[in-house]
Amino acid sequence: MPRREFFKKAATVAGSAVVGSTLAEASEVPSTGHPIDNRKVADIAFPQKRPLITYSDRPPLLETPREVFAQPITPNDLFFVRWHMPMIPTYINPHKFHITIDGEVETPLRLSLASLKKEFEAVEITSVLQCGGNNRSAFHPTPGGIQWGPGAMGCAKWKGARLKDVLAKAGLKKGASWIKFNGLEKPVYTKTDGFVRALELEKLHDQIIIAYEMNGEELPYLNGFPVRLILPGFYSDSWIKMLSNITVTSSKPQLHFMDHAYRIPDNDCECETPDNLAPKTKPIEEMNVNSLIGYPVSGTKVKANAQLIVRGVAFDGGHGIVKVEISIDGGQSWQEAKLDDGKQGSYAYRSFSHTLTPKKSGSLTIMAKATNTKGETQPFAYEVKWNRGGYKFNGIDEVTVEVVA
Amino acid sequence: MKRVLLTLLLIQGLAVAAETKVDKGIKMPYMDFPMKPGKGMYSTKGKCNMCHSWGYTINQGLQSKKFWRKKVAKMITVFHAPIKNEDIEEVVEYLYTNYGNGKEE
Repeated sequence: MPRREFFKKAATVAGSAVVGSTLAEASEVPSTGHPIDNRKVADIAFPQKRPLITYSDRPPLLETPREVFAQPITPNDLFFVRWHMPMIPTYINPHKFHITIDGEVETPLRLSLASLKKEFEAVEITSVLQCGGNNRSAFHPTPGGIQWGPGAMGCAKWKGARLKDVLAKAGLKKGASWIKFNGLEKPVYTKTDGFVRALELEKLHDQIIIAYEMNGEELPYLNGFPVRLILPGFYSDSWIKMLSNITVTSSKPQLHFMDHAYRIPDNDCECETPDNLAPKTKPIEEMNVNSLIGYPVSGTKVKANAQLIVRGVAFDGGHGIVKVEISIDGGQSWQEAKLDDGKQGSYAYRSFSHTLTPKKSGSLTIMAKATNTKGETQPFAYEVKWNRGGYKFNGIDEVTVEVVA
Repeated sequence: MKRVLLTLLLIQGLAVAAETKVDKGIKMPYMDFPMKPGKGMYSTKGKCNMCHSWGYTINQGLQSKKFWRKKVAKMITVFHAPIKNEDIEEVVEYLYTNYGNGKEE
């Protein structure tokens, strides 16, 4: 589908609610475009949030507008929101809240928020949190799932206790091999499986924390107050919000949200077609290299012969970004953008800026492409291969501005 | 001694009161996601919207009849949606007629 048509469609989505994708499928052949961009924020703000692009109020599904990604840290009140279950506590008493640690442990624990802060070393990590289905609206035929644009992600400075330290205090029994995480969100029917996720014990590392602070503040309720699991480098599906229970098990637990959701084809291209679905799948886990232009957004009017500073962010699953390049000729030639000092670490957004001076009036398309320390880079959007869940889109980003004389 | 203890208890009580006052929780807003009027709308509304917003449904994008049928089946088997066997087709038809992509599969 031509990009121009996308803008037209995107522009029709207005008012208080985003409506379903209006894209008619042109053919059966899978093809990828750009995600639906420039959707309008809702006219109602959620608690502790500024107005965001709103797909659902129950459960809340909120997307961050593109212009927020002109900065390397996403403010708490602009941070995207994605819940799975419709019943979310709207009040938690931080003095009564506790996390239980049980299962294959020597000493089951019941940790209050105060003891989590007092009894364990506090560590800080700046990390990107991105939904695996971010940019899903770029895929065609339309995969099931929320048709996110590019803003189902954010980057924050998280502070908390190491999961490893908490587990060490409980003492792992011999044979412990998986860790299950559950939060306080609840399904409508008690017999329905909760949103429980699990991590293989061998994937545990020092940077995985139970966070009680986000950008120097308490977490907003909608981002998991009072604590959530932080799994740097991994997509957000296992970053359990309102974390209330950790159960250690000796074998892989059978869980709906592990066995059926957030999975991609287990083959080299991680791809398939609707008529020929991959027989084997694997969890999405580590994020691939990606970047997003935060300024300008499409439709911005800029002056010819005046400096335009393009700003944005780039990230991957923790290997680190080494290069971001900008193209204004459809990807034929690329100029290296300036990167920030990288001091926020390799799990954080690496912000970039690039100054250019448009000469001609008319429309100008600006593209951004990131490369990581492993030499992995972004494909053109149309080269991104399809998968049924619409996960892991990382096509080269582009915005189109209007240059006026 | 008794007075000291009492004072300590009082101070502690005040401290707890001061802290708990800070956090009163949140109130979720309601947002309207209008349904397209059509045959089966009211029936579908009751069955889907009791657990989640209509936004959650329509922001899956326009989909095939097979997709909507599988979704309804998943809602019943995984999430225990109270949809009777004889009502499934009405819901699927409503979804496909109003939020379909024109394809059976």
